[in-house]
Amino acid sequence: MATIQEQTADTSSPSSQPNNPLSRKLNKILDTRLDNDKEMLEALKALSSFFSENTLRNRRNLRGDVERRSLAINEDFIQAFQQVKEQLDSVYEDVKGMSECCQDMTTRLKAAKEQTHDLINQTTQLQTESQRLQMRAQVADAFLAKFQLKPEEVKILRGTRDGALHPDFFKALARVKQIHTDCKVLLRTNQQTAGLEIMESMALHQESAYERLYRWTQNECRALSNESPDISSQLCLGLEALQDRPVLFRYSLDEFGTARRTAIVRGFIDALTRGGPGGTPRPIELHSHDPLRYVGDMLAWLHQATASEKEHLQTLLKKCNNCSNEGTIQDILGHITEGVCRPFKVRVEQVVVAEPGPVLLYKLTNLLKFYEHTIGQLLSKDASLLGTLDEAHVLSSKMFFNSLNIHAARLLDKVELPPAELGPTGPLNQTLQLLKDVLSSHDSSVVSIDDRQKDFSKIMSSVIDPLIQMCSLSASKLTTVDMATYMINCLYTMQSALALFEYTDQRLEMLQAQIDAHIDTLISEQASHILHRVGLASTYGIVQQHQPKQGPLSSIPGMEPGTLKGAIAKFDSFLSTPDGYILQQCSLLQSTTVRETTRKRSMELIVSAYEELYTAITNPQNGYKDPQNLMPRTPEQVKHLLI
Amino acid sequence: MAAGPYNYSYIFKYIIIGDMGVGKSCLLHQFTEKKFMADCPHTIGVEFGTRIIEVSGQKIKLQIWDTAGQERFRAVTRSYYRGAAGALMVYDITRRSTYNHLSSWLTDARNLTNPNTVIFLIGNKSDLEAQRDVTYEEAKQFADENGLMFLECSAKTGENVEEAFLDTARKIYQNIQDGSLDLNAAESGVQHKPSAPRNAINTDQPANKEGCAC
Ligand SMILES: Nc1nc2c(ncn2[C@@H]2O[C@H](COP(=O)(O)OP(=O)(O)OP(=O)(O)O)[C@@H](O)[C@H]2O)c(=O)[nH]1
Ligand SMILES: [Mg+2]
Repeated sequence: MATIQEQTADTSSPSSQPNNPLSRKLNKILDTRLDNDKEMLEALKALSSFFSENTLRNRRNLRGDVERRSLAINEDFIQAFQQVKEQLDSVYEDVKGMSECCQDMTTRLKAAKEQTHDLINQTTQLQTESQRLQMRAQVADAFLAKFQLKPEEVKILRGTRDGALHPDFFKALARVKQIHTDCKVLLRTNQQTAGLEIMESMALHQESAYERLYRWTQNECRALSNESPDISSQLCLGLEALQDRPVLFRYSLDEFGTARRTAIVRGFIDALTRGGPGGTPRPIELHSHDPLRYVGDMLAWLHQATASEKEHLQTLLKKCNNCSNEGTIQDILGHITEGVCRPFKVRVEQVVVAEPGPVLLYKLTNLLKFYEHTIGQLLSKDASLLGTLDEAHVLSSKMFFNSLNIHAARLLDKVELPPAELGPTGPLNQTLQLLKDVLSSHDSSVVSIDDRQKDFSKIMSSVIDPLIQMCSLSASKLTTVDMATYMINCLYTMQSALALFEYTDQRLEMLQAQIDAHIDTLISEQASHILHRVGLASTYGIVQQHQPKQGPLSSIPGMEPGTLKGAIAKFDSFLSTPDGYILQQCSLLQSTTVRETTRKRSMELIVSAYEELYTAITNPQNGYKDPQNLMPRTPEQVKHLLI
Repeated sequence: MAAGPYNYSYIFKYIIIGDMGVGKSCLLHQFTEKKFMADCPHTIGVEFGTRIIEVSGQKIKLQIWDTAGQERFRAVTRSYYRGAAGALMVYDITRRSTYNHLSSWLTDARNLTNPNTVIFLIGNKSDLEAQRDVTYEEAKQFADENGLMFLECSAKTGENVEEAFLDTARKIYQNIQDGSLDLNAAESGVQHKPSAPRNAINTDQPANKEGCAC
């Protein structure tokens, strides 16, 4: 190194110090500060290591030595670098390998990156797809939940082998129904196939469920055959559900009706034959000797049973809000109460046909009529029980009138002759007593006033008309006076009997008219009897028929003053004791009023006859000389005496 | 699915008797409708009302037959005594004659009902205190002598009406409980619903057919 430095210094000196190269050199050397020139020091130090002896030879060789050394050093250097180079070469190789490797990786990465991109795309796509599917799954689940039955629901609907119903049966059934209805909405969308399929499957479920429900209901109903049926709320629900299947609903009700029908027939027979615990109340049939009580007890029992059965039906159908409910109840109730018709009818007929007499028959008729009305408030008009009651009532009523008519016919069959006192005969009195009994039983009767009035007129004509006929027949062989008296007595008896009752006005009027007619007869008979007795009858007849063209009365035979005088004298004795001239029959008139009327009105007739005679005699044209002497009493005086 | 109002364990049949105008129909109406019918027409034959009550936790349906007091219906109404579990015998505290007739009503009731029939004496119109014609003490003594239950009520104010009907039911129920009333006998006036407590829902009920009660 030092050598190079030296050389550099050598070569540069001539240019820098052109004036005196040596001095410049010297200066330089002198200027050189060896202490501070490390390079110089190093060079010197190195020099000292091989320049041991300062000999010429050494000095001459120094250069060579240095150059040799330098050469050696350079060779060492080259050698050393050769190594370095080789190593670098190998490093280079390595780095190159690495680079290639990296290049390769980069390429691959790039490729991979390209590939990954697709994948990511795909993944995202798949994710979206998955979300969509999940959504659809949710929708599908919701759909299924709405449109499909849960397995347990299916199980509930299918039920157990013993036929019992699960408590949730009706909920499940309601769901099937709901789904079925909802399907109709589906059909309106574009999900028609699904809608139809589901509908079909629901319909199947429904059918089998209804079928099962029906069988269950039928069994339950069939079991309700004891005195008081236990109608469970489940059964009510069952009928409510069955309303959707009118036929099954109806069949179930029919089953119920049949069971109840059996039950009340049995109950009725028990009440008839067994009675209460220990025989109290006693069996109804024990009273069969007392027809009214017997029939009344049966009817009351029927009334109560009908009311109870109606309640049972209302309980059973309380959940069924069908509008035709009342009609249905009536229908079934009619069926239920039909069973007792026969046992009842047979017994009533027995009683009626045994002819317990008109009064009892009449009471029975009214009782039956009353119950027909009472029970009729619970049943519809076409119910058999009502029909039976009506038949019974009609039969009883017919038998009643029948017995009245038979009685009447018997009256006419053997008509008795009137008794000597011309009063009512035994049969008349008995018949009137019967009539009174019948009519007064009406007072305690329970039927409406309208009915009563109708009955009365019918009864009246069944009894009174034949009675009058009977009297007329028996009077037919009598003299006029006897006949009139007898008829008046009979009619009057009837009238007084009827006067005690209501609704008899018309009859009373009719009787009065007949009485009046007979009274008229009697009066004229009485009057003419008196005129005959006093011998004025023919005189009066002549006066009545006298015409002025026949000439004066006094010239007519039988009207001579002498004849007249005798008659007037007899008339005077009549005036003093008029009662002696009264017909014996008139005193047989039972009614004092009638007797009085007859007397008074016959006297009036006598007075008017006297007046006519008096007017004629006192008339100067009739040629009587001293009429005042002939007829001393004025008509007024006569009237005063007689009336 | 609670037990509906129609689910009851028993039916008790009642009959209401007494002279006309004592207020039998009004009592029934007050009991079933909780209202007073001021101008109630005379009953023709019999009328009928129901109400469900509760005794010792049991639902009981009362089927009540209100009879006509008029004499002319007597033959008809007598037929309804049959099978009554309870008889309410009513008189009017303002009319002594209706009280005087009680013994004839009682005779009918005793003869025509069964021996276990609970007879309850009711002195009605207790709201008309000013017109009272029969003292409480007198009627009470009559009731005691004849073994009747007794209360004075008013169909008008409703006082004691509920009590009379319910006490009768309690007594009948007690008779059933201590066995003196035989339900199986026909015409006990009580009908038993076999599966009484049916409110609990049993999931797998074996459709148990009630044994024939007769
Ligand atoms: N002040 C008062 N009046 C009453 C009471 N109860 C009934 N009445 C009246 O009494 C009258 C007769 O009552 P009803 O209930 O018809 O008598 P009833 O016993 O049913 O009569 P019948 O049906 O003929 O047997 C009616 O005018 C009622 O207003 C009461 O508690 N107080
Ligand atoms: Mg009444």
